[in-house]
Amino acid sequence: MAKPKNLILASTAFERVIHWILGGSCLFLFLTGFGLMFHSLSFISRLFPPIPYLAAGGYESMKLLHNLCGLLFAVSFLPALLIWGKDTLFLDKEDMEWFKVMGGYLWEVEQVPEGGKFNAGQKLFFIALFLVWVIMVVTGIFMWFPVLGPSLTRWLYVLHVLGVLILGSFLVIHFYLGTYGNPGTFQVMGHGYVTKAWCRKHRPKWLRDVEAGRRSI
Amino acid sequence: MEEKVMLVDVSKCTACRACQVACKQWNGLPAEKTEQRGTHQNPPDLTWATWNLIRFTEVPTKEGNLKWLFRRDACLHCTDAGCMRACPVPGAIFRTPQGAVVINQELCIGCKMCVNACPFEIPRINAETNRAYKCTLCWDRTARGLIPACVKACAMGTLTFGNKEEMIQQAYARAKALGEKATVYGDKYVDGTHVIYVLPENIRLYERMKINPSIPLSVILWKDVLKPLSVLAIGAALVGTFFHYVIKGPKRPEEGGNEHG
Repeated sequence: MAKPKNLILASTAFERVIHWILGGSCLFLFLTGFGLMFHSLSFISRLFPPIPYLAAGGYESMKLLHNLCGLLFAVSFLPALLIWGKDTLFLDKEDMEWFKVMGGYLWEVEQVPEGGKFNAGQKLFFIALFLVWVIMVVTGIFMWFPVLGPSLTRWLYVLHVLGVLILGSFLVIHFYLGTYGNPGTFQVMGHGYVTKAWCRKHRPKWLRDVEAGRRSI
Repeated sequence: MEEKVMLVDVSKCTACRACQVACKQWNGLPAEKTEQRGTHQNPPDLTWATWNLIRFTEVPTKEGNLKWLFRRDACLHCTDAGCMRACPVPGAIFRTPQGAVVINQELCIGCKMCVNACPFEIPRINAETNRAYKCTLCWDRTARGLIPACVKACAMGTLTFGNKEEMIQQAYARAKALGEKATVYGDKYVDGTHVIYVLPENIRLYERMKINPSIPLSVILWKDVLKPLSVLAIGAALVGTFFHYVIKGPKRPEEGGNEHG
């Protein structure tokens, strides 16, 4: 897409595609995971046909696809770490100021700390995602191939559902803030361009850096 | 239908292993390649095709003699069964009206959660079919008024099968008759098992006999604490973001006309 007038590129096509793969695999893992966790949601298992030579359909297919999609999630987080890691994994003093006023989301605040490309809340989300990624991938693999023995493996189930708790609640907030909560933000994941007005509201320092050529994106 | 219990009076067992063979025969379980470990215990452990195993323990006595202890090991059919709590597939592990806990291999998906949640290390996986297997307390016999195949084959009267209350009474009467050391094992754990032992010797002397078995803490944290909490947390986030929109409203860029998307 040619660069639209007055719009700023907030994420490259590669970043957007990774974002969609990560998000899509995450949603699929939640769908199948909830199907496996709650007997009352057994209707989810009926969505899954037999997989030749591998699974008989229903729950068995759902479990296999959950495991395979977990691998996709595991792998697709690696480029995500390269894309967003450097701007999110390290909290500084200004981030603490941001937390003190909760970014102006909960009560009226005169001056919300500017932050960099991402604010402290977004950083916290990515840090949580990183931790949950480690938990889910490690526990998931050893649940799939339980070579650690019963007394250890059953604690992996505890950690796995703890990951569901953390990631599930963070994701709901992530969706809200990326769509209805902050109009204009969704295009970061859509065509990638945002308005300057959006930048001034959400990441003024980053806009100055980009316009001065101190960083490209 | 009344709850039934199998009583295993270990003091009467001569380790003839007729129960082990009868189990294989009735359930159509194949013989397996085994290994010589210098003991009659054969195969060395329960497997997907051996649901009933006589365990042999040699215990030296103070007088320099040897005590040879035999114990029938198999599923205890818990009232509060760890495998049933863990199983993700409705009906893949079910309870019969008589109290037996049965795995339906037609529904099992081989996730191995029952293997890891069982406090007695009973269910086993067949690597070829990727399904879990264990003793069914011969529910396909007992539903028609027959006794389990192992009980039928037991010539020593070690294994008996009957109404729950009667069997528990018999167990305590037998333990009393055997003297101070003898104990009853099963009725006090996991809300009562449907296989109950009378142990003439100290429980610690028997191989793989679990002392004070209970649903593992991890299974309780997983299924009873974190599972509902995860729903609560996700629900709270949904409700919270909804009311944030309604009360606080979205954060719009200053120049309204310039926005998009």
